[in-house]
Amino acid sequence: LGCPLELTPHHLSASPTVTSEQIEHLHRRFKQLSRDQLTIRKENFDSIPDLEFNPIRGKIVHAFFDKRNLRQESEGLADEINFEDFLTIMSYFRPIEMNMDEEQLDRFRKEKLKFLFHMYDSDHDGKITLQEYRNVVEELLSGNPHLEKESARSIADGAMMEAASICVGQMGPDQVYEGITFEDFLKMWQGIDIETKMHVRFLTMETIAHCY
Amino acid sequence: MEDLWSAVLRMGAVWLALVFVLIVLPSALGISLGISEAYMWALVKTLEWATIRIEKGNQRPPPQKPKSPAPNGIIERDKTPMEQEIARLRQTDFEFSDIFYFCRKGFEAIVEDEVTQRFSSEELVSWNLLTRTNVNFHYISLRLSVLWGLGVLVRYCLLLPLRFTLASIGVTSMIVGTTLVGQLPNSRLKNYLSEVVHLTCSRILVRALSGTIHYHNKENRPQKGGICVANHTSPIDAIILTNDGCYAMVGQVHGGLMGVIQRATVKACPHVWFERSEMKDRHLVTKRLREHVADKSKLPILIFPEGTCINNTSVMMFKKGSFEIGGTIYPVAIKYDPQFGDAFWNSSKYNIVSYLLRIMTSWAIVCNVWYMPPMVREEGEDAVQFANRVRSAIARQGGLTELPWDGGLKRAKVKDTFKEEQQKNYSKMLVKRGSVG
Repeated sequence: LGCPLELTPHHLSASPTVTSEQIEHLHRRFKQLSRDQLTIRKENFDSIPDLEFNPIRGKIVHAFFDKRNLRQESEGLADEINFEDFLTIMSYFRPIEMNMDEEQLDRFRKEKLKFLFHMYDSDHDGKITLQEYRNVVEELLSGNPHLEKESARSIADGAMMEAASICVGQMGPDQVYEGITFEDFLKMWQGIDIETKMHVRFLTMETIAHCY
Repeated sequence: MEDLWSAVLRMGAVWLALVFVLIVLPSALGISLGISEAYMWALVKTLEWATIRIEKGNQRPPPQKPKSPAPNGIIERDKTPMEQEIARLRQTDFEFSDIFYFCRKGFEAIVEDEVTQRFSSEELVSWNLLTRTNVNFHYISLRLSVLWGLGVLVRYCLLLPLRFTLASIGVTSMIVGTTLVGQLPNSRLKNYLSEVVHLTCSRILVRALSGTIHYHNKENRPQKGGICVANHTSPIDAIILTNDGCYAMVGQVHGGLMGVIQRATVKACPHVWFERSEMKDRHLVTKRLREHVADKSKLPILIFPEGTCINNTSVMMFKKGSFEIGGTIYPVAIKYDPQFGDAFWNSSKYNIVSYLLRIMTSWAIVCNVWYMPPMVREEGEDAVQFANRVRSAIARQGGLTELPWDGGLKRAKVKDTFKEEQQKNYSKMLVKRGSVG
């Protein structure tokens, strides 16, 4: 009755915190979402009521099918993903472990930031342009019909200028800021602790209270 | 050949006679011979032994701890409100960081969402020797497997025929009894006899499920002219409640066997059955129920406001229609013990026949019923607030969580009005900062 996993996701095996029972939980969830099929498509994410609230729902679902996140060589979007792909995406949200060394932590952080970067960079060209940034802000604000498109624009423009000032410093009058590359992105997040924010932690046995 | 036949017939007769004397007669008289109690005692002892064996078996490598269920989720959810968390994340003026918050919430929802969880059966602490709950448990020992095999034998060859016999007797006597009583002219005698018939048949049916029910606070039992409101887990809920009192049922007219029962019982007792077309007209429904409630001599009506079966770990949104009728509401909380048998009817997975079969091949149905003090709608409270108040009371009493979601989500999608709330909140925050920065 266990999951038919002959394959062990190689990138997960390095992480002892993703236990086999967590994989079983996720497998059950996968089966629920896929309605007992072997793969999930974008439409399957429509059945999650809690996700409906999320303004960047589109981007999150998109991230599951983004081939860059799936560590595949080709570009673009996959049509459907299987359980191994599902786990690959989930692994971006692993919590930190106590016994990680500097190098591991750094790699960990880079992975998470890369995931976020891909969310913003929708045309896969390796740069977050002003237009892409505006798209994201508009999506975040999409719920409020009273907000003018102009306000969304100005928020995006202001933020982009700040990003430019951090990454490039003072720009000359004829310098054009093309877009935020991944290195710039990393620079923006220096010193800010994101690893502890961007994770989903499974409950361990001791913390559950019995109500009997 | 003839000897064989007569032997079989004689055994059949003895069987029926035993069933009648040991079960049907006590049900009619309302007394208990203690057979169920003995059975439950033996069952509990066996399951305890099985649990100990499983835990011993699981002690091998440390990571293999005995699995506990998480009726409220498998992942740790950060409950800080959106504003606080986003303020914390925002070290700079960027909206980049806001993405974190929503990203994480999105992932949490994908790993597990509160709503879909409630429409599948609760997971158990330790295996109860039924294959259907064997999701997390593996082969432990020969003795355990032998016990399981014995269990299958007992359940399918001994209990199932017994329960089937009882259920048939129960249903038949209900139909016959109520038809007979229905012939009488309306009088106190008729009401009394109708109550006797209903109670007896309910008791037989409860025994047909090997039900052990503990009623608490019987002094709060629903009175005539009131409305009894309870959380819904399965079609058996009605039988559980009518085992201890008489109610006027409310529901849709069905075809088949159910329809026959409905037509028979309505002659004896004023149940309220609606045609499908009438159900669509809410005003008509409310009007009829109001007339029923206004007549203080009529039995209390029984309503399940969730509208659908939930898996007994939570209480979902109560539809406000039942709370607009007026009158006194008597809330009742029903909590099943999943250790002995899963009562939840997952109507998208099983049809009614396979559901009944599963129930009849479980060990037993054990549940607690709490009668709660009556509630009335207060001044200035509208139907929705009143419904929520009653729902909180029921959830607290039964040890269930409350969810603001609509049970209809089992089949439909989220209404747009819900989505807009959260999005409005977020954009309000963003605009404020945007205009300042």
